[in-house]
Amino acid sequence: MNEELHIKLQAFLDGELPEAEAREISSLIARDADAAALHRELKHTRAAIAGFENRITVPETREFYWSKIRRDIQQLETPEPEAPRHSLFSFWRRTLAMSGGFAALVIALLVGTTFGHRTPGTEIALAEGDAFTYRNYESGTTLVWLSYPAENGLAENQPAATLQ
Amino acid sequence: MPSDTKYSSQLDPALVKAAQRGDMLAFEELVARHRDKIYARCYTMLRNEDAALDLSQEAWVKAWQRLAQFQGDSSFATWATRITINVCLDQLRKNKRQRAESIEELDEESGGVERQMPVVTVNPTERLERGELRQKIDEALGKLTDEHRSVLVLKEFQEMEYKEIAKTVGCSIGTVMSRLFYARRKMAALLAELKNAE
Repeated sequence: MNEELHIKLQAFLDGELPEAEAREISSLIARDADAAALHRELKHTRAAIAGFENRITVPETREFYWSKIRRDIQQLETPEPEAPRHSLFSFWRRTLAMSGGFAALVIALLVGTTFGHRTPGTEIALAEGDAFTYRNYESGTTLVWLSYPAENGLAENQPAATLQ
Repeated sequence: MPSDTKYSSQLDPALVKAAQRGDMLAFEELVARHRDKIYARCYTMLRNEDAALDLSQEAWVKAWQRLAQFQGDSSFATWATRITINVCLDQLRKNKRQRAESIEELDEESGGVERQMPVVTVNPTERLERGELRQKIDEALGKLTDEHRSVLVLKEFQEMEYKEIAKTVGCSIGTVMSRLFYARRKMAALLAELKNAE
């Protein structure tokens, strides 16, 4: 049997063959043992699978299962709040904060170079998130400059301060 | 609680009408009635309990959103199952994009080896208890590729015609017939194998 006949046998089983072709396949099954065996195999497989899904049940209670669906539906139906607009004021405030930080860095550098040598225990660093740090290990002083309004959690939780 | 007698005694069409008017408790009753069927379809197609749970719930949310489109041409359960099938097929497509197809799967797609398999003469349902048979079918279904299992599920459980399956899956009727033939032959071989292994 070739591939075309295999597929036709299956289509016969599924009732998807035109009448004339169905008659042909039916007589083939009657006279050809291989065709009959394959037809039987397909039929048995189909019968075995039938009803398989009937006993599969949701592994959660009715209330718990529904609660997620309800939450998702309610979320979809609640209009999303508009994103806050960036005002001109906040733009200027941010620009000033950054400039202030930069100025602090420049002053710290000038102080370090003008009034004596920069001691090995001094460190000025530009950290992530618009933050500058000035550390003097000799005096045990750390100055952190954070731009404000804060853009990250660190700045929100830890406002600009001098830590001893 | 939502399981109010007012709703539990009503038939699906009445609940659908109420849900279409925005009655969420009526919809909850519909979910409770058909959730096993929807979940079972997701599980059969995805072979994963957690994914089946999530997707079945996603399908219900989609059903709620599209309730206005339901005209009653079919039963509510059939309509909801169709939504579920599309949700599952979308997920399977996403999964497929995420993983590279293995050489084995490509070989299975052609189905060349399976067409040459000797015919299984044993009836897999003989001398097996219903529970045992279910377990073996479950195992065998898990060994099919997503593509073959999807076509098999749509034919055997959803009772779709070839052209409907082709439209749903997005392939030609020829591919559907070929995948279905391969899937059935593979299932027959796996069930016989599992039965002999006892």
